Amino acid sequence: MSAVLETRQVAAGYGGRPVITGIDIALQPAEVLCLIGHNGAGKSTLLKTMFGLMAPEAGEVRINGEPVSGRSPREIAEMGVAMVPEGRGVFPSLTVTEIFALGMHATGVPKAERAERVDWVLGILPVIREFMHRPASTLSGGQQQMVSIGRALLSRPKILLMDEPSIGLAPKLFQDLLAPIRTLQQREGLSILLVEQNVREALKISDRAVVMKSGQMIWEGGPDELSDNEKLMELY
Amino acid sequence: MLAIQLAITGLQTGALYALTAVGFSLIFGSTRIFHFAHGATFVIAAYFFYGVFGAGLGLLPSIAAAGLGAVAFGVLLDRLVYAPIQRHEGSFFTVFVASFGVGIVVQNLIGMVFGRGFVTVNTPLSRSVEMIPGVYVSPLAWIAILCTAIFLGALQFFLRRTHTGMALRALADNPELVRTFGLNPRMIAATAFAVGSVLVVPAAIITSATTGLNPAIGHHVMLISLAATIVGGIGSVSGTMLAGLLLGLAESLALLVVDSQWTEAVTFAILFAFIIIRPAGLLGRATAH
Repeated sequence: MSAVLETRQVAAGYGGRPVITGIDIALQPAEVLCLIGHNGAGKSTLLKTMFGLMAPEAGEVRINGEPVSGRSPREIAEMGVAMVPEGRGVFPSLTVTEIFALGMHATGVPKAERAERVDWVLGILPVIREFMHRPASTLSGGQQQMVSIGRALLSRPKILLMDEPSIGLAPKLFQDLLAPIRTLQQREGLSILLVEQNVREALKISDRAVVMKSGQMIWEGGPDELSDNEKLMELY
Repeated sequence: MLAIQLAITGLQTGALYALTAVGFSLIFGSTRIFHFAHGATFVIAAYFFYGVFGAGLGLLPSIAAAGLGAVAFGVLLDRLVYAPIQRHEGSFFTVFVASFGVGIVVQNLIGMVFGRGFVTVNTPLSRSVEMIPGVYVSPLAWIAILCTAIFLGALQFFLRRTHTGMALRALADNPELVRTFGLNPRMIAATAFAVGSVLVVPAAIITSATTGLNPAIGHHVMLISLAATIVGGIGSVSGTMLAGLLLGLAESLALLVVDSQWTEAVTFAILFAFIIIRPAGLLGRATAH
């Protein structure tokens, strides 16, 4: 099966200082791939490079076999990729309705489909309906994360990149948040690349895991293999 | 009667301050660029109007020239001066100094072309008429207030109801997240400069036909804009609008108790009072950094 998203020997960094080097990752259709590593391992840099927020200094990123290095985030979004950024991916002064409207406008969702898309997301994350008209600044951390995921789903992506969605959330809330995403992955074949520090919780929903350290991949395998690897589990 | 006269004059001045200050606040709030040359935008709009109207080309072409001059100046300054500095990771202060320098250059160029003296545009609307015994108001006062209401109402609609307006508010909140949404921050910034510069135009035109102009008027405009932005609450368009009105009224009503040379000091007394007592401003959010 060909990968929906892959990196080939990708290197990227800030101001000439490399953060990641020689990264080869392939995300398969309808797969949940968990990217694990400490702060500074280069996980977020890799996600930003995949989504066009950073240009790779070497190597290439491919989506459905097509090289996308140098394309803008909007162009990559139009190829069926969405990103839930690290932290709270919402604009505090905008209401949830406005965030959704802006998200759909930015990714070129046709006007005629927008109401239907919102209904679809509210069907997946029904709690959002309760605070659609509130500014994001008045929402709890969990509610903001839910809105961020909902906004990403509005473009009906085939590939979802999630950067540490568990930050600041209780494990139970994190699982509640991921459950509908997992359902979507199984029902609609969504491929998910999940960056997490909360390894035990992330592995519960992952099909495969990659461990990164100091900007390089140091391990790759199934979640059970990783759980059995005492040395790695102690580290992470 | 004097108090009523001063209140109406203050309302007119405040309305024009509100328009100018909201333009600055919108640009600063969304791009975090200290656009000191906003005062120069005012000067360009005013003198373009003065020049074209004086050449006898009529009111509408004069307004169009003022609008085009202001927007072109704002957008090109962002594109040709601020963007390169930011691309090379220049500091906030570097951008400020560049903006200040451009303001000085514009002032001198306008002085070379139009002279450094005081000029006014005379229209039949400039003449005051007695509204009630002892109170004289020019039709331009009502036009100023009406223009401000229309422009600021349109701005609120733009910011709340259009995607571009929402994107401007989003940029003010989090520029990095704007990119993650798939939007282009540079395009949004250009829109902020265009809209912020347009807001100056009616104020510049009305000022040219009421109190008059000189090339150095940009500094006063900039100081008022800055004061209104701080008093209103940094990042709050509504707050800046209220603060502009408040400052205009206060400057005018101060004439009841102080000489005219002290009116600008009243603005700064209010500014310092807010900095000490309510640093978040009228409608700003208190933040801790």
